[in-house]
Amino acid sequence: MSITPRVEKIRQNYINTKPSISYERANIWTQSFQRTEGLPMAIRTAQAFYDTCNELCVNIFEGELIVGASGEFRKCGILTPEFAWKWVDDEMDNFPQRPQDPYEMTEQQREFVRKNIFPYWKGKSVEDAFLARTSEETKKIGVDTGFLDTDSKWRNGIGEISPDYIDQLFPKGFSGIKKEAENYIVQLNETIAEEKDKITFYRSIILVCDGIIRLANRYAEKAVEMAQEEKDTIRKLELLEIAEICEKVPENPPTSFREALQFVWFVQLGGILSENPLALNPGRFDQYMYPYYKADEEAGKIDYDTALELVECLWLKYSEWAWTISANTADFFAGYTNFENLTVGGTTVDGKDGTNTISYMAIQATKETKCHQPTLSCRIHPDCPAEFMEAVTELVSTGCGFPAIHSDRTGYQMLSNLGYAPEDAKDWNNCGCVVPHSRKTFEWTSSCNISFAAALEFALNEGKSRLSGEQVALFEKDPKTFQSYGEVEQAVLRQFSFMVKHGVISLLTAQKIHKEQAPRPFLSACNEYCLKNGKDLVDGGAKYNIGPVFTGVGLSVTANSLAVIKKLVFEDNVATMSDIIDALNSNWEGYETLRAKAQAVPKYGNDDDYVDNIAKELADYFYKDVTSYNDIYGHHFVTAFMGISNYLPTGKVLGATPDGRKAKDPINEGVSPYTGTDTSTCLAALRSSAKLSHDIHSGGTLLNLRLNHDLVATKRGRANLGAMLQSYFALGAFHVQFNTISNEVLKDAQAHPENYKDLLVRVAGYSTQFVNLSKSMQDSIMARNAHESF
Amino acid sequence: MKGYLMQLQPFSVNDGDGIRTTIFFAGCPLHCKWCSNPEGFTQQPKIGFYEKLCIGCGECKNVCPQDIGIALNQPENRKNCTSCGACVTVCPKQARKNMVIQKSVEEVIAEVEKHNLFYRQSGGGVTFSGGEATLQKQFLDELSSKLYDLGYSLDIETSGYFNFDEMLPILQRMDLIFMDLKHINSIQHQKFTGVPNEKILENMKRLGETGAEIVIRIPVIEGVNAYEENIFASGEFVKKHLPNARMELLPYHKFGFGKYQALSLDLPQSDFQTPTKQKMEYLKNILIKMDIPLADFT
Repeated sequence: MSITPRVEKIRQNYINTKPSISYERANIWTQSFQRTEGLPMAIRTAQAFYDTCNELCVNIFEGELIVGASGEFRKCGILTPEFAWKWVDDEMDNFPQRPQDPYEMTEQQREFVRKNIFPYWKGKSVEDAFLARTSEETKKIGVDTGFLDTDSKWRNGIGEISPDYIDQLFPKGFSGIKKEAENYIVQLNETIAEEKDKITFYRSIILVCDGIIRLANRYAEKAVEMAQEEKDTIRKLELLEIAEICEKVPENPPTSFREALQFVWFVQLGGILSENPLALNPGRFDQYMYPYYKADEEAGKIDYDTALELVECLWLKYSEWAWTISANTADFFAGYTNFENLTVGGTTVDGKDGTNTISYMAIQATKETKCHQPTLSCRIHPDCPAEFMEAVTELVSTGCGFPAIHSDRTGYQMLSNLGYAPEDAKDWNNCGCVVPHSRKTFEWTSSCNISFAAALEFALNEGKSRLSGEQVALFEKDPKTFQSYGEVEQAVLRQFSFMVKHGVISLLTAQKIHKEQAPRPFLSACNEYCLKNGKDLVDGGAKYNIGPVFTGVGLSVTANSLAVIKKLVFEDNVATMSDIIDALNSNWEGYETLRAKAQAVPKYGNDDDYVDNIAKELADYFYKDVTSYNDIYGHHFVTAFMGISNYLPTGKVLGATPDGRKAKDPINEGVSPYTGTDTSTCLAALRSSAKLSHDIHSGGTLLNLRLNHDLVATKRGRANLGAMLQSYFALGAFHVQFNTISNEVLKDAQAHPENYKDLLVRVAGYSTQFVNLSKSMQDSIMARNAHESF
Repeated sequence: MKGYLMQLQPFSVNDGDGIRTTIFFAGCPLHCKWCSNPEGFTQQPKIGFYEKLCIGCGECKNVCPQDIGIALNQPENRKNCTSCGACVTVCPKQARKNMVIQKSVEEVIAEVEKHNLFYRQSGGGVTFSGGEATLQKQFLDELSSKLYDLGYSLDIETSGYFNFDEMLPILQRMDLIFMDLKHINSIQHQKFTGVPNEKILENMKRLGETGAEIVIRIPVIEGVNAYEENIFASGEFVKKHLPNARMELLPYHKFGFGKYQALSLDLPQSDFQTPTKQKMEYLKNILIKMDIPLADFT
């Protein structure tokens, strides 16, 4: 079946509308906080959530079957001043005009926010606290620098949670969760300090349960109201059905496929209203939705096409909510992407193939709606059915960049290495872009972006930024006097460790602040173990508390650069350290021959051990160094090579590098080869990447490749792609994702964006609309090397 | 034992089933006027010079024992080049390239083995191509025998111009044999390839003895063989002598032209043209109507 007129209409609105900022939630939240001063933070937060659910406008938009909106606009972003308001104040005048991820916001809105909302949060937000507690030394290298960035953890809510539909939400409903909290309170003794804290926690849970139930019931009321006035008899019936469903869920466990879908959206909406989260992951959608589908289908209550339309309605809901972020953060996370990661496929806990009708339905929904959300991921196991592989590679061949393709086993291994019990590790789902995660986990999965290439620059420039000349890192001797390759490498690692140290300091500060002033009662209610333990997520209530993740950026640029120094200076003696440094200071101008020689040195991504071994050494050092630190909960920090779009901003702040890269050019994301340098074959690029021990980087690893579309144009070509994936995973790798759209198409889209509003492309770990990317981002996507068949 | 090769091409997906490594052997008894691998006419090592990539740094000039300048493609300079390869190792832009290299059986196997997993997962393997692989019989024998023992799937692409009895043991190791039928008319065949086709046709008749799957390929070229009578007669021959074989029609392409320039050779005749899609469909339909199964590796 092709897309229904209803879904197509919603879709057209989605691709043709710029998101608008709504301050409603921020306003209600602020007023609530003004009323609750002096109360425990958990209660204040839960009360603000309740008030929001009770007062926020309720809107059912045209044609909707799944309802619930974060504000008055259909495509909507919200504000969370309790985390940060200053960047909004600084930047909102420019929201509609900014090049990456613009939002609509009117002058009246801005005035209102400046007058009624922001003043209250002055000095009280997470950002205020972070900046007040952070030293100048740390700020110099780690605040808005592009060398080392942690601001997504103190300018935003945390997110990075997978609500537990299987053991918590669906079996209990929020009335059940509330009842559980009430039962615990009865058993606790308020005269014991620890139990007194638990009572506070359970009270916060009761408040949020009441809140989300209230919100749903208000939607039921609204639907009835609208039905009374609706002239169209079909729509009238639809509205009455919506009312009936919102009366039931999420208060009670769902009893049908459609109720379960609406339940899922209310949980998502509750999460959005509670903290405007990055990466609030629907998780293993096919696993928890299939039983409802199967029961309904067997009972003759639903057929595939009806279910698909509902799923597509949900996909559009995921996409209509826009994450509100600063211009700086938008450079890192380009394309309105909020990383609602939804996983399909893979094995069940008992090791059987877990694919089912819903796995295929999810793939079809993404293919038909071309929505940028959910961030669709799939798990591929060695015995993956050929039909599922064909569905996955067929979606790849459409060029939309989805799904992110993951190794079932490596994901399991990554969690096992963090100490998960086998039954939980086997049930992993994806978080954000490429992070193996679990519904039983509390973790900051994208906490610190750390640039290897910046460490290289500091090592080769006396601890100074080459572009600004500012001393930001450790002092280092004159690079022209390095006597051996080992000396150069040691300097890079020393600078890198200095950066790791400041990343750790920043995150310890941020964690402490979140624990003190940003409890998460709503998302804690979605976690079975928080209830069992009587503790909020920020107090370590989850079953698994995993240390924050450092994301390494610029691995291949740095390895390539070190290989150049090793070979040209210390092995072949065709250049001196002085030549290299002078060339970098001149941005290679006047050094064309030396640059050509540098470019001819083996590059990571071509299965050449000469340089791949350097990359591996760097990656292993990263792991050892980062995991030697513990967070405030006593858990070691974790490494990842994720992507996001961080290779652009981290490149913009860097001078030229010895690999031949010019100043300000992008670096590279994840474990991907540097743009245009993986010139051998796709297989060589995969083999290079697989040499890094993916399983120890439990925060996830990411590989982006471009494939010539001809390679996946036929079923046979796609079967070969499937075989390629399985081989890559057999080598121990974790993730790969493809762009298969030709540069001709992309160039045309750049010139005529009006014709390509729904063209999805892969950025890194996620896909988004090409026309929603800034020109520099578009250019960098075109520059990735496309692998021809030979 | 060393062989003369043009290159090893990993990730070949159109030369047999699955993902394969295609090994291009240098040297060929035919001299097709449209050949896209002109470096393989002979087994002589040759240096290619891609002028477009050259930045004029002069590193090649500095190491050349013959004192040849940068402009290798000038006829005078070509004459003096001994193909020693010194310039190839120093050129920072890879504008100089060894077009024919020598590799031992062990070296080839080491490179092939890197992609073992990819072959196994995809049902692929190794394809011998050229030039003409059978021309280096001993090398092919040793290489194919070792790869056979390692369990690889083996295919060969051949012109069919060889001594069948001598080649039979090698061909019996193959899973799939691609043999070209460039023209059914011997006079035409000789005109365009330099050799008559009788020997090829005789060998083709005996392919059943190898036990391999057979695909008879016609490189379809406007101006040479892209017309109904030729395709029909070719089909009849195949049907009569190789009832189990499939046929494949491949449209001629001009991808090899850059190599002619890099080797300072005269370009092939320009009246050879790529057939249109419609023409290809028309010709394929002739075979389909004759109930000949078609192979398609795209």
